[in-house]
Amino acid sequence: MRKEELFARLRANTHQQFDMPDMDIHALKYPDTLQQFIKMTQSSGGKIVRLKKDGDLNAAIAEAYPDAQVIASNIPGIKADRNPDLVAEAQDLNRTDVGVIRGEVGVAENACIWIPQTMKEKAICFISENLVILLDEASIVDNMHEAYARIKMTDYGFGTFISGPSKTADIEQALVMGAQAARSVTALSTFTS
Amino acid sequence: MSTLHAKKAREFLKEPAKITHHDQTFWGMRMARDKMVSQIPEWEELREKASAIKRHTISHLSDYLEEFSSNLKKNGVHVLWAKDAEEFNQMVLKILTDHQVKKIVKSKSMLTEECGMNDFLMSKGIDVVETDLGERILQLMHLKPAHIVVPAIHITRQQVAHTFEADGISPEKGNDDPTYLTRCARNSLRSEFLEAGAGMTGCNFGVAKTGDVVVCTNEGNADMATSMPKLHIAAMGLEKVIPDYESLAFFQRLLCRSATGQPTTTYTSHFRKPRPGGEMYVILVDNGRSDFIANPDHWETLKCIRCGACMNTCPVYRRSMGYSYSFFIPGPIGIDLGMLKDPKANSGNISACSLCLSCDDVCPVHVNPGSQIYLWRQQLEHFGTANSEKKLMSWGMSWVYRNYSIYNMALKVAPLLNYVPKSIIGNSKMNPWCVGHLMPEFVRKPFHVLEKDLEKEYEKKSKIEP
Repeated sequence: MRKEELFARLRANTHQQFDMPDMDIHALKYPDTLQQFIKMTQSSGGKIVRLKKDGDLNAAIAEAYPDAQVIASNIPGIKADRNPDLVAEAQDLNRTDVGVIRGEVGVAENACIWIPQTMKEKAICFISENLVILLDEASIVDNMHEAYARIKMTDYGFGTFISGPSKTADIEQALVMGAQAARSVTALSTFTS
Repeated sequence: MSTLHAKKAREFLKEPAKITHHDQTFWGMRMARDKMVSQIPEWEELREKASAIKRHTISHLSDYLEEFSSNLKKNGVHVLWAKDAEEFNQMVLKILTDHQVKKIVKSKSMLTEECGMNDFLMSKGIDVVETDLGERILQLMHLKPAHIVVPAIHITRQQVAHTFEADGISPEKGNDDPTYLTRCARNSLRSEFLEAGAGMTGCNFGVAKTGDVVVCTNEGNADMATSMPKLHIAAMGLEKVIPDYESLAFFQRLLCRSATGQPTTTYTSHFRKPRPGGEMYVILVDNGRSDFIANPDHWETLKCIRCGACMNTCPVYRRSMGYSYSFFIPGPIGIDLGMLKDPKANSGNISACSLCLSCDDVCPVHVNPGSQIYLWRQQLEHFGTANSEKKLMSWGMSWVYRNYSIYNMALKVAPLLNYVPKSIIGNSKMNPWCVGHLMPEFVRKPFHVLEKDLEKEYEKKSKIEP
């Protein structure tokens, strides 16, 4: 089908046109944004570990996942066995116990964390059995309106909001964590005291 | 006198335990949605604005599609336009053969159901693997979705266990624990993701200003399907385009709360460019949509964001389930979409509505599916699908109700029917009204007579005590 043909038909078939509404919205704000984010993270099935900004990230990761054999990350300073920038294929990241990635914006209303792609193989965000997301507590906002005003895409042209572990309730509505992607998610949030 | 929907529903209703479970499951989803709504004070404002944004976008569709497609191209994404299902299927096949792809992993897409893509590709020797757990179960059982968000909720865990055992996915015989079965599917699908040559997704929202294809899932299967294979094909209906991120925030907040009663899907993924060393195609599908836009009563059906809230709340859907409808999308919105697509084939569905309009109340973008069903009913005559028996009855009733003397006489005689034995009056052959109804007991004094008597009494009293 030619695009021009379609557009001509769409124009001919549209009988009445409507304006965009006024986009102002008095969206929900929380008295304690951080506490709400923590609460929602937990109810999404995720865990949260709070750490001082100059704290030992590697120790915190080891404590959260003591049995981890294979860690993958491209974040400077994170002790990792695999690097999503250096693997030949995305498939090489299979059987990663813990993937460590960075989130840019946290959202209190639904525990979403914006993760722009900052590595060659974004597979690390999904194929890892467990996911650790580093997040600066100063970057937590109240709602999605604020989040969408703030998020930035990198040159890779992919980004995702993640809220807790992969889940399904497709078999008789029984909630199971770890459908096709990460079985557990830990938000490692850092704060300046 | 029964419609196709009623006949099929009767089969399902033969198992009362199953229907009760089905009803309660979806009512549970409705209640979960209500709980979410109660936590957002600006909920109604969100709905109003989301509806207005969609109205604006759909009535400026060519402008937004132009912006969207030129941004896709700028981002290095291939754009294709499919007139109908046939053209769409051929396009997908060509992309796959050009890339020598034998196996494709896909996330849930009602558009590919609409086009019958899976069967087509498989007939051409392509291995198509559904990766949403519910869709995978149905694919292995050779069944179609019965709901657009939770497609396999009508399948029991025993059936899943049996299917997985037969297909070598579950090694433990008789183990029907949902967690165990989900793990089995995870293991089996993991190898499919690793092997596949292409990944296919649908598209919840296409953002015109940036060219993002936004896909929402809970399982992360759309992300797995697009992170392993180098080739990504996204199938998108024309009406999925929205202006920008500012608008997207409204829809993101409404979609999952309305659908499953969660504050968000686990993943809200934005695909803007092909992955490094890969390729990305977006196929924009018309398949009737450009004609639906011309229908003055029903063009707003195109605002639908496919959350399924109208199904979850519908008392008829909950008690008749998806397979009773003749269109591949069931429930209130499916009735409307089916009528737009092929009114002759799908007009049986429009009786599957009590006009309670609960769907209008929950629809996050004010499509008003129930009010639209009401409008479709007025047009049955036009499609030649009006039921002649019902027409005669309606004509008779209207004649009686317009003639007071006849109406009053009929009411006086009616109590005699109370003495007719149930075997006659309750016999559906002699009295088709009895199908699914209990005969009421006719009262000796109807309400309007009772009311008149009371009035008289009141007048008497007020004369005595001025």
